[in-house]
Amino acid sequence: MTLVIDRLSKRYGDVVALDAVGFQVEPGEIFGFLGANGAGKTTTMRIVLDILRADSGTVTWRGRPSTELPRRTFGYLPEERGLYPRMRVLDQLVFFAGLYGVPQRDARHTALDWLDRFRVTDLAGRRADELSKGNQQKIQFIAAVLHDPEVVLMDEPFTGLDPVNVSLLRSAFLELAAKGRTLIFSTHQMEVVESLAGSIAIIDRGRLVTGGLTRDVRRRAGRPVVRLAVEGDSELTWTAGLPGVRSIRARADVTELTVAPGTDPQSILHAALDRGAIVTCFEIADASLEDVFIELVGRPVEPGSLSSGPLTIESAA
Amino acid sequence: MSGHPDSGLLPNARLIARREYVEKIRSRAFAVATAILMVVAIGAALVPIGLRALDRGQTTRIGVTSSDPSVTAGVIGLVSQYLNPIPAGVDPATVRAHYALSSEPNLATGLTDVNSGRLDSVLAVAIGPTGGLDFTFHGNDGPTSATIQRLQVATFGAAVVRYSQGLAGTGSSGPTFHVPSFELQPTDLGSSVAPVDPAATGSRTLLASILVVLIFITLTVYGMWVATSVASEKASRVMELLISAGTPRQLLVGKVVGVGAAGLTQYLAILLPALLVLALQDPIATALIGPADPGEAPLVGLTVPMLLAFGAFFILGFLLYAFVYAAAGSLVSRPEDIQQLAMPLSFVSMAGYFAAIFGMTAINSRLIEILSFVPFFSPYVMLARVMLGHVDAWEIGLSLALLVAAIGVSMWIAARIYGAGVLLYGQRPGFRTFLRVAIRPGGG
Repeated sequence: MTLVIDRLSKRYGDVVALDAVGFQVEPGEIFGFLGANGAGKTTTMRIVLDILRADSGTVTWRGRPSTELPRRTFGYLPEERGLYPRMRVLDQLVFFAGLYGVPQRDARHTALDWLDRFRVTDLAGRRADELSKGNQQKIQFIAAVLHDPEVVLMDEPFTGLDPVNVSLLRSAFLELAAKGRTLIFSTHQMEVVESLAGSIAIIDRGRLVTGGLTRDVRRRAGRPVVRLAVEGDSELTWTAGLPGVRSIRARADVTELTVAPGTDPQSILHAALDRGAIVTCFEIADASLEDVFIELVGRPVEPGSLSSGPLTIESAA
Repeated sequence: MSGHPDSGLLPNARLIARREYVEKIRSRAFAVATAILMVVAIGAALVPIGLRALDRGQTTRIGVTSSDPSVTAGVIGLVSQYLNPIPAGVDPATVRAHYALSSEPNLATGLTDVNSGRLDSVLAVAIGPTGGLDFTFHGNDGPTSATIQRLQVATFGAAVVRYSQGLAGTGSSGPTFHVPSFELQPTDLGSSVAPVDPAATGSRTLLASILVVLIFITLTVYGMWVATSVASEKASRVMELLISAGTPRQLLVGKVVGVGAAGLTQYLAILLPALLVLALQDPIATALIGPADPGEAPLVGLTVPMLLAFGAFFILGFLLYAFVYAAAGSLVSRPEDIQQLAMPLSFVSMAGYFAAIFGMTAINSRLIEILSFVPFFSPYVMLARVMLGHVDAWEIGLSLALLVAAIGVSMWIAARIYGAGVLLYGQRPGFRTFLRVAIRPGGG
């Protein structure tokens, strides 16, 4: 009863886009699909949607191959946003829902509901090319979910949204998941994944690197992180002398340190107190997803970048 | 992409066609182009009336010569009266003569005058031994032209009048009536072209050329509409959403039908007023330039079967070309690049167009006959044959059937290219890409 992505492979000429990528997504789950640019996320989503055929491997949903499912099973928010520039917002939403078989009147009704929820009812009569980027994105999201698909695939749905809209979209995610819909999304914003996605998969250069429950991935792949702040000392240079302790990031508020296996994180607190420092923050946490990602993929996430899989050589911008 | 339970053509093709149609019809560019073309078409429909008005200003000058000046004068008087009739109840002074007849001392001087342009033609009258008359017309008018037909009647009348005058003098036992002969002798003005009748074949050829040109222009323009529409959906990236909601076949057919319907709308908006002008040509001509003179050439003759053939070949030709244009549009990343891909296609279209235009002078040749069955050419060539040559019903049927079959094949190939093409960005737009994707849609 799950979405099973089984050993998908896809080549474009000499370029291997996907190499036996496989993972599973449970129904009603919010699933984070992570990878650097060009890792194969978009290609995987397109194969799930059957707008692209894999060279080998299968996709099944509730036991049926995706190539035999009604198209309305899936909703899609493509990475490259696209609406008809001159068409009115409500008209296009009704049009797209119509392609998925939603009767015009129902589509109108539901579309207005969604516009209301995103606090943009005034956009209904506007042309798409008059909208701000953030608003276009909200419309694009509505277009993906208007026909109430069982599975929603979203490529970078949070990119370019301000914090207010991120939180609106976040609650829409949670609501859909509560209704039993399955949501798969890719993003470079790791804190969004940490707070939303119950499970994740990380792919790199067409290969699956790791996957599973988000909590497990963080525990398994990363070392614990200690966040420490001491009054009057923002550098904390002395921690370099502690055995098995490494400073990984100096932030404005705290410094993040990792400890080698076998080293007790508490030893850092003892060391600080021994120095007579006034500790204002001491926290032991799982490795952040960002650290896990960097460790596994070997390079940092490129935030805000809009390039995509190997097919898209030329960006629309 | 088969196997999806919702991959049937309807209702998605209809939704897409409707959106396409509404957006196109609503666009400002569409309204402006239609309005301009409508004015042009009405103007073109008025051309025959204008030609007739111009014709009115012209006088045909005919020299008359014979061995007997009194015969010459008699023929001039009678023929002139017949050629320049004065309608009943009209003051003769207000009627302008269309024919001016003058006496020429002999044929040689008459022909010299024709060559120098002082005369249009010479009518030589031969007086037989019994006093009967025979006529030879030295000029370039064809046997079916209005001038010749009326001259034949007029000269016959002149012969009858002369015969009856002869009877009056000699009593009842005069010679029997000699039926005058009327021969045509083309005057060679440097051209060896056989005398053609502009009124008959001329207007037909003109009409056929206009319709063939019309098909050529509209197939190209509406084909480019399809290609541009596909390419701009790709450029605005709305394509990725479309292709995940509908099958390539639904999208293609919807697009082609929607654009085709918009094209047809424009067509009708342009043609209907023009056809109305053509149909009402005689009343309009009467209102504008006065009543037609007797014997004036009838205006353009457009028949219903011709219009039906035109409609059928336009619609089927459009479908055939539009699918290929759609496939071409799916391969470019920017609408500006379409030209490059559309070029080979417009060569094919142009070949059919030229075959039809040049074939009009040899409409019954074997090559033209063969070309009129070849799908990409038949919309032009068969239409020309229907208009100008003799075509059997089965020939038209076969040509249409082959066209329909070709549309099926072109749709199938186009859907294949489209499905892969719309996801390809940054391809070099070219004919080779087109072929490569057609053969191996999945390859990179």
